Amino acid sequence: MSRLKNILLAKLITRFPKLLDRFVEKTPPVRVEGIPWTPVKKPVNDCSVALVTTAGVHLKTQKPFDMTDPLGDPSYRELPADTPEELYTITHDYYDHTDADRDLNIVFPIDRLKEMAEEGLIGSLAKTNYGFMGHIDGRHIETLVQKTAPEVAGKLKAQSIDAVLLTPG
Amino acid sequence: MGLIQREIEKQGIPTIAISIVRRFTEEVKAPRSVFLRWPLGHPLGEPGRTDQQMTVLKSAFKALEEISTPGTIIDLPYRWKRYEDMEL
Repeated sequence: MSRLKNILLAKLITRFPKLLDRFVEKTPPVRVEGIPWTPVKKPVNDCSVALVTTAGVHLKTQKPFDMTDPLGDPSYRELPADTPEELYTITHDYYDHTDADRDLNIVFPIDRLKEMAEEGLIGSLAKTNYGFMGHIDGRHIETLVQKTAPEVAGKLKAQSIDAVLLTPG
Repeated sequence: MGLIQREIEKQGIPTIAISIVRRFTEEVKAPRSVFLRWPLGHPLGEPGRTDQQMTVLKSAFKALEEISTPGTIIDLPYRWKRYEDMEL
């Protein structure tokens, strides 16, 4: 029942931007210190680029994100770049992904990045990209910041990624 | 999204985010972002509009190369479904 409520609310917020503004105003602020910074060392057309999304994208063969925990799910899924289109799915009740279900590229622009790599606009696309589910609250924020996000950062380093593009849901 | 972005940047990889909720991006002090006032679930535009998707991506990578002040958010000049803004 609460899942249905979330899905309906997400549909309304997606349809009416004014409702989104009100929802955002009511969300308690997240406090952070400083701004991490790594300078860009080479032109984008020479960079190995990885895609990280919080739109709830995962493979049908992987465990869906947990929609029963109101605090969300801070885990992530590895998304191989050679995944056939029909194997991707989205589990995320907090935004309306009807359009993204029709064209994944509006939240996870994997095909466009492949084209950009072919055209030489970016150096290359990562062999593995990463999917999170962006609705994370309470104690799960700590898990995200201390465990899962640093873990993904480490895996991106291990892949020798030069730049990361992040997309929301 | 910004919290994940910060962890990646901390470990030495430059990042660029596409934001559709400006307040969240400001609050988590994301290193580099482009912002679009577009509906949730549509950071790269409408389904099937590869031209829109490409325009947003090119703008994002341009911002990645150009932003030199940490925390910068570039407001992209594209209004929702106003194709003349993108000259498409």
